[in-house]
Amino acid sequence: MTDMTHDRAVAPRRSAGEWLHSLLSMPAGAILLVFIVVQLACIIAGLLFPDDFRYLSAANMGIMMRSVPVLGCLALGAGVLMIAGEFDLSIGSVYTLTAIIMAILVSNGVDAFIAAPVGLLVGAVIGLGNGFLTLRFNLPSFIVTLGGLLFWRGAVLLINGAVQVRFDPNPVFNGLFSGTVLGINAAFIWFIVLCLVFWAVLHRHRLGNHIFATGGNRAAATAIGVNTGRIKMIAFAIAGFMAAFAGILATTRVGSVQPGQGAGLELQAIAACVIGGLSLRGGRGSILGVFLGVMLIFTITDVLLLMRAPGFYLDMFIATLIVAASIFNHGLDRRGAES
Amino acid sequence: MSLLELHNITKTFGPLKALTDLSFAVGHSEVVGLLGDNGAGKSTTVNMLSGIHQPSSGYISVDGQRQTFANRRASAEAGIETIYQNTALVDCLSISRNIFLGRELTDRFGFLDLKKMRDIAMEVLESAVHISGIDSPDKMVGDLSGGQKQAVAIARAVFFKRRVLLLDEPTSALSVRETEALLNQVLKLKAEGVSSVLVTHNLYHAYQVCDRFVIMSHGTKVFDVAKADTTIEELTQHVVLT
Repeated sequence: MTDMTHDRAVAPRRSAGEWLHSLLSMPAGAILLVFIVVQLACIIAGLLFPDDFRYLSAANMGIMMRSVPVLGCLALGAGVLMIAGEFDLSIGSVYTLTAIIMAILVSNGVDAFIAAPVGLLVGAVIGLGNGFLTLRFNLPSFIVTLGGLLFWRGAVLLINGAVQVRFDPNPVFNGLFSGTVLGINAAFIWFIVLCLVFWAVLHRHRLGNHIFATGGNRAAATAIGVNTGRIKMIAFAIAGFMAAFAGILATTRVGSVQPGQGAGLELQAIAACVIGGLSLRGGRGSILGVFLGVMLIFTITDVLLLMRAPGFYLDMFIATLIVAASIFNHGLDRRGAES
Repeated sequence: MSLLELHNITKTFGPLKALTDLSFAVGHSEVVGLLGDNGAGKSTTVNMLSGIHQPSSGYISVDGQRQTFANRRASAEAGIETIYQNTALVDCLSISRNIFLGRELTDRFGFLDLKKMRDIAMEVLESAVHISGIDSPDKMVGDLSGGQKQAVAIARAVFFKRRVLLLDEPTSALSVRETEALLNQVLKLKAEGVSSVLVTHNLYHAYQVCDRFVIMSHGTKVFDVAKADTTIEELTQHVVLT
């Protein structure tokens, strides 16, 4: 991705066709194009009909910034794991579980700045557990984490029952995770910062190189001396950790935890990754793609809400987007395999 | 003294005896053809030299020093690079990232020095490995042909100053022209002091470049001869009849 931008910086001016071609051959190029077109359309519509289509209103922008980070953080973790060639279906349940643990600790007088790291640790450890079961018994992670999804969903009800838990941390903690800086929501800033960190690790760090290699061709990576088992364990831990982090953001924003709140989020996170161009077989994808996948889901959701469309349109639109994106990505995969 | 030597190596997998009392040597700047029909034990030998299997008895020496290759890395550190049939490359990474995979150039914090890796990759591809069609180290390996992929694998070996290349059936997936280029590459590296072991059952390819031939059958060596002392007919007979 970045290598291409580098090329473009030094290369002489190209024609529009070449520019479009190089954009589309970038890992996240097509989705970037779709995203820009959708944004432009929304902004123009918002300017033309400021009363009927309040896309540019401060209230709408605020809602967007508050809704994106939770799914965004889940998708970053799930995306890294997908690039490493594995799945985690349990992140939705882990997200609820760690939030409940954190809220219970805080309501029992533990400081939120201690409770939150405990939640993150639990998330990472559950991720490592998924990784251990997957690798030790050579199982598909799909099956292992499907078990995790049900197990931890049950564990939430066992620990807490079906009642909601209030989360009332100290004001500093609240400000850090749901306050506003220069008009921008703190959770959104966290998400952007995490995107940059993930980009640096995945595309600019040795670890990221090994994650791509592990997901792209595990046998080759092993033959060259990459410890692919360790890389997969790290990726599982990141997925669990990010699920717990999403839990912190959601809980601080709402001020309470619902035991059923994580259901379906794991699939949305994977959907965002697929829309962003990550391959289900691993080894292919980019953080920009994950970011755009998440943003696109929320932009379309937002547009449909602004147009007062009934809720079921939402699922249908996102479903169409997922399938269209994977048809396109599958075409890319196949082209790569044939040549 | 030989560069690389196998001493009376036996390898068993449970009840199966894959190698029996195998000894042979690879000299400095020498290309050795390791020949034999399917199941002769060639691949087991390659895996042992690259540290994937360990001998049940006997040992390997490099420069007369006894070695135990506990893993692939140990073998690579002793100067041996294996280029596999399905070359060990990751299709979804660029050429330069593949060349440096597992041995990335990084700063203190592990961040990649992409520019340096890219420059070196370009230099190696231009100077050491002449396979046409590779014009940029940013190309994805998945977009390369079989011969170009092997060129990348060889570039990796060249850059990391390997002394022995183990080429396991390198020509089986190549076009005629790519095969020529690869065999010339082996000769060029020999002139620069890099020895090669060409593992193949294509006698004609082996005969074209090898200085010496080691023929294996049923897990042991049955024939070991310099090129000057043999003919392709004699080699064929030994491969087929033993």
